[in-house]
Amino acid sequence: MNRLAKLLLRTTSVLAAFVVMERTSFASVDDAQSFALQAAEPYVKQGFQVREDYWGGDLGSGEKKAVRQQLFKGNEYWFWLGTEVDRAKVSVHVYDSDGKLAEESDSWEKGHFAAAHIVPKTTGSYFIIVSVEESPEDRTHWALVYGFR
Amino acid sequence: MMPFIKHLALAVVCGLTSSVQGAQAPQHININQLSTTVEDVVVPLPNEIFGALNKLGAVNWKEHVRSDKGPNFTERPRIALLLGTVIADGFIAVQAEDAPTVKDIGQRVLALAKGIGVGNSITPHAKAIIEAADKRNWENVRLELDRTQSSVQQAMNEVHDEKLSQLVSLGGWLRGTEVLTSVVKQHFSADGAELLHQPDLLAYFQTRLKAMPEFNLPIIHQIQDALIEVKPLIDVGNARIPAESVKKVNEITTRLGSGIVTRD
Repeated sequence: MNRLAKLLLRTTSVLAAFVVMERTSFASVDDAQSFALQAAEPYVKQGFQVREDYWGGDLGSGEKKAVRQQLFKGNEYWFWLGTEVDRAKVSVHVYDSDGKLAEESDSWEKGHFAAAHIVPKTTGSYFIIVSVEESPEDRTHWALVYGFR
Repeated sequence: MMPFIKHLALAVVCGLTSSVQGAQAPQHININQLSTTVEDVVVPLPNEIFGALNKLGAVNWKEHVRSDKGPNFTERPRIALLLGTVIADGFIAVQAEDAPTVKDIGQRVLALAKGIGVGNSITPHAKAIIEAADKRNWENVRLELDRTQSSVQQAMNEVHDEKLSQLVSLGGWLRGTEVLTSVVKQHFSADGAELLHQPDLLAYFQTRLKAMPEFNLPIIHQIQDALIEVKPLIDVGNARIPAESVKKVNEITTRLGSGIVTRD
């Protein structure tokens, strides 16, 4: 009985370690997307339609990525950025095609979530700059979703 | 006591604000330095444009609803283009709150998706579109149309059919532009015409089409030629797009729209 208990304990520990390893190694952009969608959730109640399409990838600390997006005057947009790395700090900002900061003052950053709000003054291309400011990981997954109303 | 509470409340609000704001973003950046790190555009859904149009004034969406079933194509690029336009037609029918047409479109989307081998991923969405239309739950229909397009494209990308996936987006964009120009042409306004200012999207589609030499079909060549015609009409920098250009883009996209739904 004692041996059986030991065997069970050992097997459970190995299984638990395997599960933890699996979670770490298979963390992906999809996980980051679920955090970006989590940030978007309160805005859906305010009438924002969140697109199914999203951008994603991985970045090192201090690295940036630019995303070009067509925006339409008359609509209001939010861009939400998320990562599954709890201790990472991310940011997102929106610039017009001349490189001028175009976001509203209620845009925000909070740890592994960030969001940028824009009411475009003209219809055209805008640049959404995503950045991993700090992270304990070498590479940090990110995902960016957007919504409009 | 009251001033103390006021100060306390202010301190709490300030604390909350500072906790959610990070370092100040630079007021200006050099866009040219970003060229190597820029990701592809996400093609806007037709209803993103229709939403902006609605804010400019009432639109009679019913006159833009199209429910004819169209022919059955065998060439996959043609099916992909048609699928994109049919999804766009779904968004128009939602704007018009036309439940029978939405339900027909749900069935049509499923048939076309099966035609290019991605029917399985669409079945639940087609069912959800029909159910939501029955309940006249337009928000859910919109959501499911978006999911349909996304699932079709994801399924295509998984089997390395990215080019077909891009044709779905192109079909939707062309149909959306056809309707946008039709609405603006009827009641011209500078703000309405400005919605056509999409030069980067046009360039995106031009690049993608150039990389599809294997799709040697008349309709693909017609679209390529048409985009060359459209480019100077909408790529006007800070200038306004005149009524004449809107009319011209409408003629071009109507011609292409008819080509997409008609057998050669």
